Amino acid sequence: MFETFYPQLIGLCTGALLLTSALMVWRHSLLASIRLLGLQGIALAALVAVIGIAEDESELVFVSLLILTVKGLGLPWVLAHQSKASIKQIQESPRLNPTAALLAVTLLTILSYVVVSRVFGLGDTTTGHAAPIGLAMVLIGFLLLISRRRARSQLIGFLLLDNGIATIAFLTSGGVPILLEFAISLDVLLVVLILHVFAGRMRTKFGGTAVDQLRELHD
Amino acid sequence: MTGIAAGLLLQLGLGALAVLSALALAPALRSLVGGIFGTLIAVTGFLTGLAALLGATGGLVIPIALPMDPLLLAPDRLGGLFMLIVSGVGILVSLYSMSSTRGPDASRTAWVAMPVFLVGMQLVPAATDSVSFLLAWEIMTLGSTVLLFADHARRSTVASAGIWYSAMSQLSFFFILAGFAVLATASGGTSFTDLQAIEPGSGAANVAFVLFVLGFGGKAELVPLHVWVPRVLPEAPSHVSAAMSGAMVKIGVYGALLVCVRLMPDGPAWWGIAIMLVGGASALYGILQASVSSDLKVLLAYSTTENMGLVFLGLGASMLLRGYDATAAADAALVAALLLAISHAAFKSTLFLGAGAIIHATGERNLDRLGGLGARMPVTAAAFGIASLGAAAIPITSGFVAEWMLLQSLIHGGRLDGAVVSISASVAMPLAVAVIALTAGLALLTFVKAYGIAFLARPRSAPAADAREVPPLMQLALVLGALSILALGLLPGPIAAVVATTFSTDPTGAVQAVGLGGVSLPGIGATLDPVMLVILSALVAIPVFVSIIVSAHRHPARTIDLPWGGGGSRARPRMQYTATSYAEPLVRVFDDVLKPTRDVQVTHVAESRYLVERVRVEQRVSDVIETRLYRPVLNLFQRYGIVVRHIANGSIHRYLSYSFVALLIVLIVVSL
Repeated sequence: MFETFYPQLIGLCTGALLLTSALMVWRHSLLASIRLLGLQGIALAALVAVIGIAEDESELVFVSLLILTVKGLGLPWVLAHQSKASIKQIQESPRLNPTAALLAVTLLTILSYVVVSRVFGLGDTTTGHAAPIGLAMVLIGFLLLISRRRARSQLIGFLLLDNGIATIAFLTSGGVPILLEFAISLDVLLVVLILHVFAGRMRTKFGGTAVDQLRELHD
Repeated sequence: MTGIAAGLLLQLGLGALAVLSALALAPALRSLVGGIFGTLIAVTGFLTGLAALLGATGGLVIPIALPMDPLLLAPDRLGGLFMLIVSGVGILVSLYSMSSTRGPDASRTAWVAMPVFLVGMQLVPAATDSVSFLLAWEIMTLGSTVLLFADHARRSTVASAGIWYSAMSQLSFFFILAGFAVLATASGGTSFTDLQAIEPGSGAANVAFVLFVLGFGGKAELVPLHVWVPRVLPEAPSHVSAAMSGAMVKIGVYGALLVCVRLMPDGPAWWGIAIMLVGGASALYGILQASVSSDLKVLLAYSTTENMGLVFLGLGASMLLRGYDATAAADAALVAALLLAISHAAFKSTLFLGAGAIIHATGERNLDRLGGLGARMPVTAAAFGIASLGAAAIPITSGFVAEWMLLQSLIHGGRLDGAVVSISASVAMPLAVAVIALTAGLALLTFVKAYGIAFLARPRSAPAADAREVPPLMQLALVLGALSILALGLLPGPIAAVVATTFSTDPTGAVQAVGLGGVSLPGIGATLDPVMLVILSALVAIPVFVSIIVSAHRHPARTIDLPWGGGGSRARPRMQYTATSYAEPLVRVFDDVLKPTRDVQVTHVAESRYLVERVRVEQRVSDVIETRLYRPVLNLFQRYGIVVRHIANGSIHRYLSYSFVALLIVLIVVSL
């Protein structure tokens, strides 16, 4: 029963991952981006759980719970930890307009499919076929990093990049050892907390977190 | 544990204690305790070096975590000699610094850096493999750089000098590192024993030789890598300048000797000629710049370039002659080079300490504003005078013996048993003699100027008129320095005989001690016995002096002042020679080389154009090599920097975009 659904479940999860990534590039509202990040975390957790059940590894199920807690609930909560009223008003004015950005996302996705199939080969497994999605997420995360002006929007790009790396890891080799996964998750949480505090301090000090405007500080 | 190992360990331990005490102590005690520790470090180094020079063996093994052989510090005779030289200077400098350091020179940072600098210098000659050599070298450079920056907050010139020094030191280090890398690749090991296996004529050896000469030549202040010298030595605190010029520069010489005498002894003839050329050019250029300088410390700094040029001239001549089997002359030239290095350490550190005493007393280092210090600071004047004699290579000082021996070897070196050894030697040797002759003449002029303008005549400024003698410890250091110059000059024989053992197992064929501490060069047939000369000239001079004094006493002194005084009674200090006016003829003679810039402003009296109210003359002699060679290169880099600033403008987005684009390009390329 599960065997027949397995490829479709993998496809669903990776599809959700790619879709949330693309939506993150499209949407300008910070709150929407944070919610999408939460959705992506849940999708990643689901992906890990599906792989864990298919390969009959209880360890992976535990990892999926960890991912769900950290990436699906923890990080979005930390990022959105501010009065909802004020965060709703934060609108990003990115350096790329939405059309160009979505076009770039398309090209990057195609590129990642080409790269993975040409360089590594897609392989016979279901997960192997979905591996390019991870690379596409890394590239889209990078795109967010360079196209967003606000520190917290860039942070979301960074987290998307991290999700992409995790996706590649789970799809190609069934995940990294649990201890490593645990450490990386904690690291990411720590980075987000620190940057969040920084962004808050920057806003109270200078009234904005547009990274470009901070250039004058270094002199 | 052998004596050498104990000595090295003691130096390291004392160094660590000195650093800790500098960190912990209050400012009032810091200079005293730092000076005491510095003296102890230097005395330990002196004894260790002496033991190694006299043939003691043994060493200190320092295990390291890296996957390579442990570091071995075990000085041989040559290393012992140089350890002796640098720690001898270290003793003088440490004694002096106890009471000379004030303000930022006595800061915690400076007193932490001082023992690091001293220990680093003393360990370089002890290294027996390239890794420990480079390590000690960098410790030395680090210590000296920090010391140089001591006063950067008050004077902007210090910061600029520090940047020059750092850049040039790193350039030297890079060359040396590259040289060792080339040798290590060719020989397959890093210890000096492994490196000795290199065939001197091979391609790798040639490349390494050029790299080493550039690296060690930079440290030894040779032209054209000397540009840091006239900036750094004047700006550093005087005891640091003394240590740099007296000791650190010798480490550059040691490096060159290590390469040319120990690692690759029988190089091709062009090695010797190249070193002679570099040395000769440095000697001439250095003394020319020194002779026209009116800043006392700049003068001394350029004179260092001159002296190191002579040392390298001797080394080059020795290499060239050895290649043609003129062993006796080659040995004599090498001994002369080593004696020059020793005597330079003695007189130049005394001179820099003397200059420091002048600055301590007057706050001036411009010779044009000094004068009359001889009567006000008699001890400093005497020590500076003896050191000046040494720098000008006048008999009974150490400088004379060394230059005499160098000239002997050059004059007699071109011929072996009456036959010409080679065309290149018979061309190079007379040229070298001419260079030394010109250098010696200009050096005499330079130091007559330095001593005469600063210490004789009448004060040219108020601070010079109010000068007081420096504290006793500074005087002690100066007197010790002056005594060492005289000792080296009066007893050259035993010293030369010991020095010759550093490179030859049986040096009696080249150098012997004769008479009352005199020196003989049996291979050349020349003998010098300074003590005997002094006794003989005293036998002649004393009756003359006695008769003069007796006859002077017979005639009563004239007590009536002439009303007019021959014009002399109304002479003002401004009517005296200044350093600039004294050097004026030289500037005219060497106008094409020095390219001075003159600025003459004449202010006329309001009533008549034909009457002059005041004339203001300003003359600047800049370093031609710096303006012609370094400036264009630096300007090029600056332009490149301005262009690059647009690419790297500090925007994080831009930097991220670069890495994103790079990642995309890599992905596209690998998938093609």
